[in-house]
Amino acid sequence: MLKVDKQALLRDTHVDIRGIYNKYAGMLLGYIFEIVKDHDLAEEYLVRIFNDLNKQFSEVDWDDTNTWCQLLRFAKKVLAEYHMASRNCAPRSPAVLVVHNTRHENFNHLNDEQKKVFCDVYYNGKGITEISTELNQTEAVIRKTLKEAFAIIRKGD
Amino acid sequence: MIKINEYIESGILETYVLGSASEAEVRELLYFKEKYPEVEQALFSLETDLERIALRMAVPPPPHVWYKIESEINELVTAPHADALTIKLPPGNSKGKEGKKNSQFLDVDASSSHMRIHKIWRLILIGLFVLGKIFLGFAIFFFLENRKLKEELQELKTELKVEKSVK
Repeated sequence: MLKVDKQALLRDTHVDIRGIYNKYAGMLLGYIFEIVKDHDLAEEYLVRIFNDLNKQFSEVDWDDTNTWCQLLRFAKKVLAEYHMASRNCAPRSPAVLVVHNTRHENFNHLNDEQKKVFCDVYYNGKGITEISTELNQTEAVIRKTLKEAFAIIRKGD
Repeated sequence: MIKINEYIESGILETYVLGSASEAEVRELLYFKEKYPEVEQALFSLETDLERIALRMAVPPPPHVWYKIESEINELVTAPHADALTIKLPPGNSKGKEGKKNSQFLDVDASSSHMRIHKIWRLILIGLFVLGKIFLGFAIFFFLENRKLKEELQELKTELKVEKSVK
């Protein structure tokens, strides 16, 4: 009888997950901490992301792009519920630029709008359309601002 | 026709790398990535830099974090439902072997053209190969021996004929 040995597949996935964890867990924990600003909660999310990743490992196209970017996109999906909850609990006025504070010193070189756009995209999981509506600017302008912000951070890195 | 430099400068690559591009934008970008090396290079550079930024802000996780993840993975591996993905053949083909719940089976992933088989097959195939070589060696040896004996027999017959004719 032919049988799919799912346990063997899971064991192989386990090895891959361990490799990804060894290389990227610190980076991911740092990223999550910037969002939730709480060590325990950040660790909980890290555990959850890796457990979800283990379950959906074969669904991720690891060849498509670099591993960190794939992992980041995956983490963003898991963190989307956190963003939803925090937005629902703390409604913000669209007129106010809520600026994210990070430990990255190059963020200080950004102006408020650049900080807002970069952090909304990178940390808060917002789409370009949502930010453009919020800031009452075109999507092209928002993308340009994002590009400028990223360039400043990259240059100083 | 799209100007590729304008496309790169539009900020769409940053939007993609940071995970905020729409599905249509992703499709378009992956198409351009395949078609234009400039896009591929710019994307690679962005991804590398994003990884470097994240590395600078990394926070080493305490050891218990991995133990938590590992315990959940192990639960999944040892869970009874992990065996649920079994290909059920028609009743006549099963021959009552369902009871053996170990990993001594051929693995077949229906979505893949590859097959995972038990490691014992490697030893069996090596054994068969070596055995085949031995048999081949014997066959060649006996063939040559047989030919040699035939030649000797022929010589003896010739000698006998010569002796008879001399007598």
